[in-house]
Amino acid sequence: MACLLAAEGVEAFRRSFHSPSDVSETTKGRESRLSNSGDEELVALAQRGDRRAFEELIERHRQKAYHIAFGFARDREEAKDLSQEAFLKAFSNLKKFDGRSSFYTWFYRIVVNVCLDYKRRAKRTAAGEFDETVESQMEPSYQPARPLPLDQHVLAGQISLKVDAALQTLPAKQRTAFILKNHQGLAIKEIAEMMQTAEGTVKVHLHRAVTALRLSLAELV
Amino acid sequence: MAHQAHTSVCEAYEEDLVLLHYGDLRDAERQKLDSHLTSCTGCAGYLKELATLLPLTVKSDEPPPEFWQNYSRELRGKIDDVAAKRAWWRNLATIFRPRVIPAFAAAAVVVLALTFTLGKAVWNGNSNPQDDEMAEALPVAENLDFFSAMDLLDDLELLEFIGSQNNNAA
Repeated sequence: MACLLAAEGVEAFRRSFHSPSDVSETTKGRESRLSNSGDEELVALAQRGDRRAFEELIERHRQKAYHIAFGFARDREEAKDLSQEAFLKAFSNLKKFDGRSSFYTWFYRIVVNVCLDYKRRAKRTAAGEFDETVESQMEPSYQPARPLPLDQHVLAGQISLKVDAALQTLPAKQRTAFILKNHQGLAIKEIAEMMQTAEGTVKVHLHRAVTALRLSLAELV
Repeated sequence: MAHQAHTSVCEAYEEDLVLLHYGDLRDAERQKLDSHLTSCTGCAGYLKELATLLPLTVKSDEPPPEFWQNYSRELRGKIDDVAAKRAWWRNLATIFRPRVIPAFAAAAVVVLALTFTLGKAVWNGNSNPQDDEMAEALPVAENLDFFSAMDLLDDLELLEFIGSQNNNAA
């Protein structure tokens, strides 16, 4: 009898712990619950200190954040650094996010601001690092998806340099509106929310950017 | 630049043509513009030009899967650093939070005590030496007046004494 009771006690004790398969089951369940959650729900969890929820937000938005940053920086490593910096800023300021706009709008506003700050910083240091800039333009870290024949590759490189230079001359707001529309294909309404301005103003910025680029890149057409 | 001569666009439609290129024009405006485009070669040419030029400005990049693995790992590390730094500050704040009011009170008392102590020394240190001499001389001067008054009284007593002796003699 005593043996029977002891055996039952051991079994109960064993049941009180999760087996490794149970743990992985729980983790899997939680992972799938997080991946099925909306952004706002994940933000609420992350605001309460749930790191896994914030990591899920990273997984969801990293590609778009990277591509926006690439539109500004036009360099893989810089785009990576800029988009990561935006995620870090979002993480640090997550408590300040009050849900008045969507997380998407709030976060991409951070991305754009980080990119514009970077451009301002780059402009300030451009004079001191002229040689490095030229070198990096000659050997960009960007690799096209499909390898091009040599003459086409050279031509693409020349066009890219000209476009880079033309984009640099645009004022910040025009460049932002242009990159978000032309490169990312965002709707005017979304761009207006990100830039915290009226839709009409975005249209004006976009039109002016296109006019300026048309003038500076006329030889390409 | 010669190319600009053969694509002279109507100014009134230029902004809408950009939006039409991006598919961001409302139905009513698009219909109006479509009918204009059938009769205006300048605007039609401009639209074609946008379709050729604007895609050239896009530089797309599709990094390989290992890039994204590194990206997430690196970012997790950076977030760990930020979180650790934040935790350090939070711990520091937690240590001092219950003692903030007493600490401020103690600091205020110390500041007041120092102000009175050092302030007094400063006020004393700033006094003019001439003033000190005056302060020392004043009581002496007052005493001199007193002594001169005392002399006068002595003189009066002497006169009274002489007067009384004369009366006795008489």
